[in-house]
Amino acid sequence: MATAVRNPPVRHGRGGRHGRGGLPWYIAGGVAISAVFVVPLLWEVFRSLQPASAVSQPPSARTFGHLTLGNYQSLLSGQDDIIRNVTNSLIVAVLAAVLTALVALLAGYGFALFRFRGSGLAFGLVLLAFMIPFQAVLTPLFLEMHFFHLLNSLLGLALFYTTFNLPVGVYVMRNSFLQVPRELVDAARVDGASVITTLVSVFRPLVMPGIATTALFAFLFSWTEFLGALSFLTNDSLFTLPVALSNVETGTYGAVNYGLLLAGAIIAMVPCVVVYVALQRFYVRGLVSGALKG
Amino acid sequence: MTTKTVGAPPAEPALRRRRPAAEARRTTRTGLILVSPALLFVGVFALFPLGFGVYISLTDWPLIGPYHFIGLGNYQALLHSSVFLQSIVFTLKYTAIVTIPIFVVGYALAVFVRSNRPGSTVFRTMIFLPYIVGLVAESYMAVVELQPSSGTANFVLAKLGIVSNTTAWTVHTGLALTAISILVIWFASGLTMMLLMAGMQGIPQEIYESARVDGASWWSAEWRLTLPLLRKSIALSLIISVVGSFLAFNQFYIITDGGPGTSTVPVVMSIFQTAFAQMDVGLASAMSVVLVIVVGLITFVQFHFLQGDEA
Repeated sequence: MATAVRNPPVRHGRGGRHGRGGLPWYIAGGVAISAVFVVPLLWEVFRSLQPASAVSQPPSARTFGHLTLGNYQSLLSGQDDIIRNVTNSLIVAVLAAVLTALVALLAGYGFALFRFRGSGLAFGLVLLAFMIPFQAVLTPLFLEMHFFHLLNSLLGLALFYTTFNLPVGVYVMRNSFLQVPRELVDAARVDGASVITTLVSVFRPLVMPGIATTALFAFLFSWTEFLGALSFLTNDSLFTLPVALSNVETGTYGAVNYGLLLAGAIIAMVPCVVVYVALQRFYVRGLVSGALKG
Repeated sequence: MTTKTVGAPPAEPALRRRRPAAEARRTTRTGLILVSPALLFVGVFALFPLGFGVYISLTDWPLIGPYHFIGLGNYQALLHSSVFLQSIVFTLKYTAIVTIPIFVVGYALAVFVRSNRPGSTVFRTMIFLPYIVGLVAESYMAVVELQPSSGTANFVLAKLGIVSNTTAWTVHTGLALTAISILVIWFASGLTMMLLMAGMQGIPQEIYESARVDGASWWSAEWRLTLPLLRKSIALSLIISVVGSFLAFNQFYIITDGGPGTSTVPVVMSIFQTAFAQMDVGLASAMSVVLVIVVGLITFVQFHFLQGDEA
């Protein structure tokens, strides 16, 4: 098995054991299967473009063609102040992505290329956090964040997200640095360049993919996270988008309007799709390295 | 100098041994400094709360006001707390329902997309999209589409003659669990697909070729070769899926809010309510400790699995 992992993955080519069955059938089957996963999402985009009154009625041929941005307009201009929530979500997700990438970059550098006493223990402690579900430390964390005045704070939420993205990030970054050719590491050391200069000028281009993977994981996690934001934010104006939508769902600001709720869900969805489709090779790379190493 | 070193990698250990003690000390300090921000984050926001949680669980800590030590009182109370026990049973039931379908669907999808035939990359991306979009946004969509007379779910299912157009999905425990399970299987099987596919692509093709020469059918190659060689990836994907189900919260909070009654309250929601609605932080912490132990046990079994594979 170890050999299998070290060898470059052998692709199951067209001439392989999947050679049976023609290509047109494969494509047709693939389109049908993909439709099961994508059409519901596209259907919701379509539904969100119907007038709010149509969303509250069964889909019908009469209202089918009426498309409008009305739901988005009323959501973004209404009392809900969703623009502020979207901004909050963006601030938290970007801050968490940058912090995670930066801290994991330094730690990966330290763990991979420096030998120091307690290194193994320190790495073990970081990975231990991987086994602590954040859902299970929410209550003590709430009291602690209260003590540090980090409740109702976007910074506090970003620090929380950073922590729980660090184990994966440190792991990915350490592997990135371990793949830097040994000769390059020694050359940099002999040249007498400072640690940070070496990191920025010699290693940065080599570990950029790892940084992208780490930041992407942290961004997507933070953009879609719900329970932590629900627990640590009580001030409406600081709500992130997923939490603000629960107010729209229950109609805190008046009658329940499912058109608005759908528009909000689509606004939450779009950045994920765009970021993922643009950067998916980094995402898949992180998943695969994690999967192979276990 | 640089070129010389590049040309002679075996010289590296000698170089290290010759390094003066002062520089070694400096390297030690630099290493520690580099990893210290990560240790600080993990220590302050993960490890400390874990220990603090165990401490609180031994007290009658209210959200506001003084507290007293009550020993294992909270844990004894848990044994008699019907709400907590019910949430554990419900979470186990939910996990039992979704785990196998997620695995089977994910496995079938992995078999489909693992070949590098034209289109397979695009299919992977599309099948993985529900996972990327996240269960929160999708749960809000489900709320709209599960409405009795206006939702798309009833519209389509009524046309197919499966349910009546007025079926109220979130008002009946069984229906709510069914709807949420289908949503989660749809959401999560893409992740299992990705993890298993990565494992499958790591298996050398020659193994299959020799099996084919021996006259093995596709099914027997899959059963006798792929499944055993895939043990690591299978363990990983099952653990991620089982732990995920154990920690389920979002979809239940958004779609049923634990209802009808408290019949769809998973463990995490039970903790959430105990801490923030009933403000019994001590009891909530005891529940959390139980949850950490259960999840830790699952993870331990995973590592056991992986170690066994190495031997």
